Amino acid sequence: MKVQVELYGRLRESGAHLVELEVKEGATAAEVLEKLKTSLGPKAALLKGCVLATDGAVLAPGEKATFQKRLAALPPVCGG
Amino acid sequence: MSSGQTIALITERPIRAEELVDFVSAPGHGATAVFVGTIRNAHEGRAVKSVMFDSFRPLAEKRLGEIASEAATKWRARVAVAHRLGRLEVGQVSIGIAAGTAHRAEAFEACRFVIEAVKSKLPVWKQEHYADGRASWLEGCELAPR
Repeated sequence: MKVQVELYGRLRESGAHLVELEVKEGATAAEVLEKLKTSLGPKAALLKGCVLATDGAVLAPGEKATFQKRLAALPPVCGG
Repeated sequence: MSSGQTIALITERPIRAEELVDFVSAPGHGATAVFVGTIRNAHEGRAVKSVMFDSFRPLAEKRLGEIASEAATKWRARVAVAHRLGRLEVGQVSIGIAAGTAHRAEAFEACRFVIEAVKSKLPVWKQEHYADGRASWLEGCELAPR
């Protein structure tokens, strides 16, 4: 199945704000991030320290991700 | 997002500290602590011209509300916090926090709690733009699940 993942912060240096990935049904957050890593190719290092989130929560690595309406890859944060 | 005791805003509009102070004021409050974060003109030896704030907004709004509520509960405070997004020039306000309580110790602690939680939990990122034309996303804190 296809999922769309929004990219934020330094991940936008990949040149994209949104990527579409092909993942298995019921893929976990870790599996989605691994697919994202592959899709980023030479820019994969941008994913260091990143997590996968929905609009309501940061997902644990083993948490299923594909049933969520909205997914976003979030780098380490530095607001304020 | 607001409750009776808190206001928590993610906004593109200028932040006015006096509005935050007005919200947290109450007849029973003898103390108001305020924190205002502004864009400074240098970072690690580099001349900064501006900073661009990016955010995953739905989660940022949810988490900022939770942070404000936690501070309000823990210190029996009224708490107002606003974080601005977009490109800000040197001197402009990126975040404003006000905490009103009966006594000063709790006001200081609530205010400090909010800024420290924002820095470690809020899905916001800063890209500094330098005088030499370059730009750089700043390093930060990894987010924990939930």
